[in-house]
Amino acid sequence: MKFNRIAGNESAPAIQKDVIARSRKLRRKRLLRQNLPLFIMFAPVLIYFLLFKYGPILGLVIAFKQYSLAGGVFGSPWVGMANFEMLFNTPQMLNIIRNTLMLSVLQVVVGFPLPILLAILLNEVRKSWFKKSVQTLVYLPHFFSWVVIAGIVIAMLSMESGIINVWVQKLTGDVYPFLYEPVAWVAVLLASGVWKTTGFSAIIYLAALSAINPSLYESASMDGANKFRQIWHVTLPGISGTIILMLILSMGQIMEVGFDQVFMLQNSVVAGVSEVISTYVYKIGLLGAQYSVTTALGFFESLVGLVLVLTANWIARRFNRGLW
Amino acid sequence: MRDSFGDKVFYSVNYILLAVGALTCVFPLIHILAMSLSDSHAVLSGMVTLVPVGWTLESYKLLINGTNIIQAFLNSVTITVLGVIFSMAFTILAAYPLSRKYFIGRSFFTLLLVFTMLFQGGIIPTFLVLKYFDVINTFSAVWILNLVSVFNMLVMRTYFQNIPEEVQESARIDGCNEWKLLIRIILPLSMPVLAALALFYGVGYWNAFMQVLIYINDTSKYNLPVLVQQMIQSQSLMQEMMHATPEDASQMQMTPESVRSAGIIFMVIPMLIVYPFVQKYFVKGVMLGSVKG
Repeated sequence: MKFNRIAGNESAPAIQKDVIARSRKLRRKRLLRQNLPLFIMFAPVLIYFLLFKYGPILGLVIAFKQYSLAGGVFGSPWVGMANFEMLFNTPQMLNIIRNTLMLSVLQVVVGFPLPILLAILLNEVRKSWFKKSVQTLVYLPHFFSWVVIAGIVIAMLSMESGIINVWVQKLTGDVYPFLYEPVAWVAVLLASGVWKTTGFSAIIYLAALSAINPSLYESASMDGANKFRQIWHVTLPGISGTIILMLILSMGQIMEVGFDQVFMLQNSVVAGVSEVISTYVYKIGLLGAQYSVTTALGFFESLVGLVLVLTANWIARRFNRGLW
Repeated sequence: MRDSFGDKVFYSVNYILLAVGALTCVFPLIHILAMSLSDSHAVLSGMVTLVPVGWTLESYKLLINGTNIIQAFLNSVTITVLGVIFSMAFTILAAYPLSRKYFIGRSFFTLLLVFTMLFQGGIIPTFLVLKYFDVINTFSAVWILNLVSVFNMLVMRTYFQNIPEEVQESARIDGCNEWKLLIRIILPLSMPVLAALALFYGVGYWNAFMQVLIYINDTSKYNLPVLVQQMIQSQSLMQEMMHATPEDASQMQMTPESVRSAGIIFMVIPMLIVYPFVQKYFVKGVMLGSVKG
C-alpha cells in the first residue's frame, strides 16, 4: 500500500497505518474545505475568462469559414485556408501587413532608448525640487487619451491656422503639409508616441537606478572618471538587467501599433503608409461586415505576436532573464 | 568634492535638456487652453501661442449649448466610476485565490489567465461574442472588455503573497474564514496597491475610446473621447478636402478651432485636478509592477 513507503516499515502495526491513513484523509478534507470558499471566489472570474476571453479565441474558427449572418459562427460553411490565401495574394493586404511591421519596429527603435536616456539624465540631477518638477511634468502626457493628443497634434500642425505652420510660413513663406506627406506623417506619429510614453516609461529605469550603490560613483570619480565615463561604466551596467527585460517585453508588442493612435492621426491622403491591421479590421471587417477575411488577418497578427513573445522569452532564458 | 570643468558643462547641458523636455510636455496643453479662451478670429489667424488673445468664454458656451458634451461627460463619469468598482472587485476575486499556496489548480488557473495576455481572439470574434450576449449599445460592453487586466491582477497577487504569513495565521486562529481574512486583513494591508490599480483602471475607463466607438452606436451614450474625436475628425476631414480642392473650403461649415480646443480641455481638466493627489500612488504602482513574478 502507498503509505507504507511513508511509514517506511513493512511490518508497522496495523494501528499505525490506520492513524496515518486517517490523518491524510483529514488533511485532504481540510484542504477541500479550505478550497471551497476560494473556488466560490474564483468562479465568477473563471466564467468571465471562459466566456469573454476564450470565447473569442474559439470564434477564430470563422477565419477558416465563409461567415454568413444566417449560419453564424458554427453554421457557416468551412472553406479551409481560402481566407489566408486571399490575404497573401492581395497586394493591399501585404501593404497593410508591411505598414504594421514598419510602424511598430520604428516605434521600438525610436521609443525604446529615450526613456533610458531620460532616466539617466534625471538621475544626475542634484536639486531635488528640479528633479521633482521635471518628473511631474513628463509623466503627465501618459494620462491623456489619444483623442487629446491627436487633437493637440492636429491643432498645432493644421495648415491654415496651426501654430507650427504659422511659424513655418514666416520662415519659408509657405505652409508644410505635415499630416499629408507620408514621411512627415510617420515622423508625427512617432513623435506623438514619444511625447506620450517617454516620461512614464522612465519610471522603471529610475527605480533600477536608485538601486545602484552610490559608492561606485565615488570610487569611479576618484579614479578620474568624468561624468560620461561614470555613466558608461557604472550607470549603464547597473541597469542593463532592466533594459534587457524591457526589450523582451517590447519585442512581444512588435505586431501591435495600437488602434487609437493610428486611427486618430490617419487620413486618406497618407493611407498608403498609415493603414495598419487593426484599423483595417475595424473599417473593412466591422463596418464593412467582411468578418471572415479580417478575422484571418487578425489571427495572423495574434499568431505572429505570440511567436515573437515566445522567441524573445526563449532567447532571454538563455541569459537567465526569462519571464517564465 | 569640487566639480571639474567637464562636470560643470555636463550638469548645465543636463539641466537645459531636462527643462526643455519638461516644457514640451506642458506647452501644447497651455497652447490648447489659450486657444479655447481666445476669440475665434485670433485663433484662425494664428495669433494665439501661450496667452489667450481677446479673452472670451464663448467657445465653452457654444460647447455646452451646442453639443452633447454634458451628457458625454456624465457618461464618462458613469463608465469610469462603475467600471473601477467592477474591475477592482473582479481583480481582487482573481488575485486572492491565486495568491493562496493551498489553492488547488493555482498554477493552471494562473496560466489560463496569463495566456490571454499573449493570445487573443481579436476584434471580430470579440464583437460576435458580445453581440451574442446582446450587450451592444450598453456600457456593459465597455466594462466587459476591460473587466480584468491580467497584468494588474499579477501585481496584486504578488502583493498579497508578500503579506507576512504570521499575520494571517493569527487571524485564522482568531476564527477568520477566507472571506473575513480577505476583507479584514489582506485588503486593509494592501491599500497602496489597491489605490494604484484603481487609478490605472480609472485612467483606462476615462480614456476608453475604441470600445465605445465599436460597441456603442447610440450617440446619447457616447463618452467624452468619442464625442471630442468626432469634433476633431470633422476638422481633419475639412483639411483633407481642402488639400484636394482649396476653393471649397470657404463653403464648408465647420466647428471653430477654439470650440474643439475647449472640448479637449473639458477632457483633460478632471485628470489634471486628480493628478497631483495621485502622483505618489501611480509611481508606487509602476514600481510594484516592475517586481518580477
